[in-house]
Amino acid sequence: MSIEVINLSHSYKAGTPFEKQVLFDINLSIGEGEFVGIIGPTMSGKTTLAQHFNALYIPRRGKVLIDGLDTRDKQADLVTIRHRVGYVFQNPDYQLFAPTVGEDIAFGPLNQKLSRQEAERRVHEAMAQVGLDYKTLYNRDIFALSGGQKRRAAIAGVLTCRPKVLVLDDITAGLDPRGREEILAVIRDLHHHQNITTIFISNSMDEIATMADRIIVMDRGRIIMDGLTRQVFARFKELQAIGLELPEVTVLVNKLRSAGFNLPAEVLDVREALSLITAALKEMEANR
Amino acid sequence: MELTKNITLGVYLPGKSFIHNLDPRTKIIAATIIIILLLLSRSYAAFAVSALFIGSLMVLSGIPTGYALRGLKPMLPVLVIMWIFQLFLFKEPGATIYFHWWIFEATEAGLHMGNLIILRVLFLFTVTTFLTLTTSVVSLTDGLESLLKPLRMIGLPSQELVMTLVIALRFVLILAEELEKIIKAQMARGVAFDRGNFIQKTRKIFPVFLPLFIGAFKRAEELIVAMDARSYTGGRGRTKMKTLHMGRVDLTAAAGMTAYSGLLIYIIIFTKPMI
Repeated sequence: MSIEVINLSHSYKAGTPFEKQVLFDINLSIGEGEFVGIIGPTMSGKTTLAQHFNALYIPRRGKVLIDGLDTRDKQADLVTIRHRVGYVFQNPDYQLFAPTVGEDIAFGPLNQKLSRQEAERRVHEAMAQVGLDYKTLYNRDIFALSGGQKRRAAIAGVLTCRPKVLVLDDITAGLDPRGREEILAVIRDLHHHQNITTIFISNSMDEIATMADRIIVMDRGRIIMDGLTRQVFARFKELQAIGLELPEVTVLVNKLRSAGFNLPAEVLDVREALSLITAALKEMEANR
Repeated sequence: MELTKNITLGVYLPGKSFIHNLDPRTKIIAATIIIILLLLSRSYAAFAVSALFIGSLMVLSGIPTGYALRGLKPMLPVLVIMWIFQLFLFKEPGATIYFHWWIFEATEAGLHMGNLIILRVLFLFTVTTFLTLTTSVVSLTDGLESLLKPLRMIGLPSQELVMTLVIALRFVLILAEELEKIIKAQMARGVAFDRGNFIQKTRKIFPVFLPLFIGAFKRAEELIVAMDARSYTGGRGRTKMKTLHMGRVDLTAAAGMTAYSGLLIYIIIFTKPMI
């Protein structure tokens, strides 16, 4: 499934004295099976842009095509678009609204008028995919879940709709390192095994660097960079200028570079950094 | 999908106009007088005069009239239903009958009664919205507190009452934002809120209320903790950072209000009521 955004602009509270433009002339296209990271400081318009992808916002200026379907089209089947483009919200508390875990996860398929049986089957499958125990958690009160479990339940609730595109809006915020790693592993797994087009929104460069193949950088409602992960990170000065922090490993490697080590500029992965640094050290040893 | 766009009650629109600069007490008293007069008005002439008066205040305040009236939009269906009920169900012996079907009769008396009620609701809503649009929450609180202070003597906890009122006003917007988020979450999983007719749309709203109420209770609890953390103990012994002062503008406003009230009282007494 492809997403195409053409000359999209958006204002909040349009037509009131509080009107504020949050998106300026956005153009982008995301192809099937891509893993795209969207990064930018807070208030840069990431969420607003992403909520155009599943027709939660209908463009007033410009247009959004989902698999060639214009979301502004009055005849367009928005319900199907929203099932095809799954959206996991920033805060699971806004997404989970049913009293129990099972009911919440089953909400999508039941709304699709699928049979109770089929819905149950999908709930079972989705809970397994995100690593929630069906037996113990199915009847659990939503509010009794931990932060990490809520995120998983939120993802499972979207997966039961069988999306072709998954939009993940800052889903690791507020999680501890282990919970974060576990969620990220689930997302990687989904992308690799089911070829789901994944749009991953985040404030954390560390996360995006290891997850995405392509990165879109936003600042104050505009796309300021769009390219392969390494190409984007090579422009680290510009990224820091808009208030984004580089991955810690990149910062370390850059420091070593300026101290005279022979290392490449855009190292994003800890393991890669380790082998590069060991190699550089050996080289220095040999030269001595 | 933006719900908060249509909410104007409890929203403050900063400005530097004559109306904005008035002492909040002046504005509160004026709004109360206008509301009382509106409740006493029973003739089209009285409403016309009030419309003219409130309209010119709005021009004076620099608040876009379209925006001030925007909050009425979501209320329209309810108003129409109210009007229809009055038209068919209000009966008076000897009134002209316009239309008759089975047990329903649309009478002249019903028509006027319907109009009267709609006019009242419209005007009351506009006046209160106008008050909050031109007065910040802080000065509204200060004004109300100062006006209710004498009632402390008979044991009325005025500061607490005002605090409750102001929180309620703030929650209008907060709840609307919350509602928007829940609706979006359900839309994202296939509920078509933006499709279907009025009745279909209304039915889809019900499953939204449960999470909304749970959310509201959670919010309230958080608010209590936040107030406790800042040692809120009610009105006793509380001092003010800003003290209120009446000035020349308030005198001008009082003159304007006297002229309007005099004219309206005259109309109320001497013109023939619509019903």
